[in-house]
Amino acid sequence: MIDLIQNTLDGAMVGSSYALLALGFTLIFGTMRRLNLAYGPTIMAGAYLGTYASLRFGIGALPVAIVVVVGAALVGLYVERLCFRPFGDSAAIASMVSSFAVWMQIEEAATLLLPRHLNAFPALVAGPPFTLGPFLFRPEHLLMLAVATAAAGLVYWALHHTRFGLGVRTVIDHRRAAEIVGVPVERVLMLAFILASAIGGVAGFLIAATDHQITPMFGMWATTKGLIAMMLGGLGSVPGAIAGGLALGIIEAHMQWAFGPQVRDLIAWGVLFAVLALWPGGLMGSRRLADAAAVQRRL
Amino acid sequence: MLEVTDIATAYGKIEALKGVSLSAGKGRITCLLGPNGAGKTTLMMTIAGILKPRRGSVRLDGEEIAGLPSARIVSRGLALVPENRLVFPQMSVKENLEAGAFQRARDPAIAEDIERMYQRFPRLKDRRDQLAGTLSGGEQQMLAVARALMSRPRILLMDEPSLGLAPMVVEEVFRIVGDLNRDGVTILLVEQNAHLALKVAHHFYLMEQGRVTFSGEPGKLAEDEVVQRAYLGTRRASA
Repeated sequence: MIDLIQNTLDGAMVGSSYALLALGFTLIFGTMRRLNLAYGPTIMAGAYLGTYASLRFGIGALPVAIVVVVGAALVGLYVERLCFRPFGDSAAIASMVSSFAVWMQIEEAATLLLPRHLNAFPALVAGPPFTLGPFLFRPEHLLMLAVATAAAGLVYWALHHTRFGLGVRTVIDHRRAAEIVGVPVERVLMLAFILASAIGGVAGFLIAATDHQITPMFGMWATTKGLIAMMLGGLGSVPGAIAGGLALGIIEAHMQWAFGPQVRDLIAWGVLFAVLALWPGGLMGSRRLADAAAVQRRL
Repeated sequence: MLEVTDIATAYGKIEALKGVSLSAGKGRITCLLGPNGAGKTTLMMTIAGILKPRRGSVRLDGEEIAGLPSARIVSRGLALVPENRLVFPQMSVKENLEAGAFQRARDPAIAEDIERMYQRFPRLKDRRDQLAGTLSGGEQQMLAVARALMSRPRILLMDEPSLGLAPMVVEEVFRIVGDLNRDGVTILLVEQNAHLALKVAHHFYLMEQGRVTFSGEPGKLAEDEVVQRAYLGTRRASA
């Protein structure tokens, strides 16, 4: 019983970083209705810039965090300009394929910047695990949970209480109608893309700072975790992204405890398969997307 | 108020508008009739800045607006009630109204205007927190009109507001068109239902195959002929 709760707690804390990855993914998918395969690599680019700054100039974890987030946001802007802006609301496949090309490009650039496979990443908090009652906590995980909760809360607040948020919600709901009521759709899309990439940067920093290391595989890893968590929660749904991320983390933790650490990523793929087979729309997103599709068909 | 001169708009190589000119006078209801595929919706979308014209000019109170982004056109005082209503289905009625005022930014009078819309359309007040996608067709039409009014337009473009509605609801929609006009709103109305449209219009244009082929005032000229052509789109020599 104690193990069960311990695993759930561990899973939720790791899952909070997946939730952030999924949140960024879902903002891009919801507004643009297309997949950004360069999303994970964008985050990796930010993390690599942070690592480079830390190795080259010896700056501490907090400035590194700023470099990672700003770097991810700028690389995100680059991806938007190159893969999304030119195609408007046509040719979704062109965006996807070109984002794949940018993925390869970013991985190549990252390995040129830091040729070693494994690079040390500074920790934001470091300390031994401590116990609270029968449960064991890692300070890094608590920080991850706290920052992820704050970031998700901030995004939710911004979506519902700012003019930019209103613009994003109208574009998610009906792009053509948003244009008609006078929302500057292209600008909203660009800002949403930058915001999503910055959120990914926050998640990337938290994960790298917890693992104390980063490899060129991180981009691929972040894309798959974010994608699976988003699919699990439902495409284009903000609460779904949070729930999907937490659920993925918890499932992984239990499976890892039961079958050993080597199955962790295998489980993630298994979850994706199960979701696609059983609830193709995700846990919270199916109805909403079906409605949107129905509306677009009527056009 | 609104002067459209020689507007041409194309989808790829297909020219949907082949040089359309018309005007809508201040405080009047101008009606645009014509069969399916005549280019009426394309014209409305072009005036509203959703589609970009190949050539031609659109002037709103003398200012050129052709080719401007829709956001700028809305802020200059032109609002569109689109064909098929296009409300935001996953947002509440109130949020739809707030979205209609997007270009007014943080204007404190937005809340008052929402209340005013509720007075004009009491059904919307009853359903203020309901998702717009769950409203009936008539209610969605009221919402689309109210949403457009939230930008405080000088001129309102309405594209087939009676489409797909029950006859009683259509009557209500036309009563609202008349009410709005009496309150001083200039209206450019696209309508398939020529009989009803000619009852409220001060002036009308007939569009066929991407061109304006006839214009006049209701009752004075061969109304039967116009109605027949609006419905059937015959290409006999124009009157």
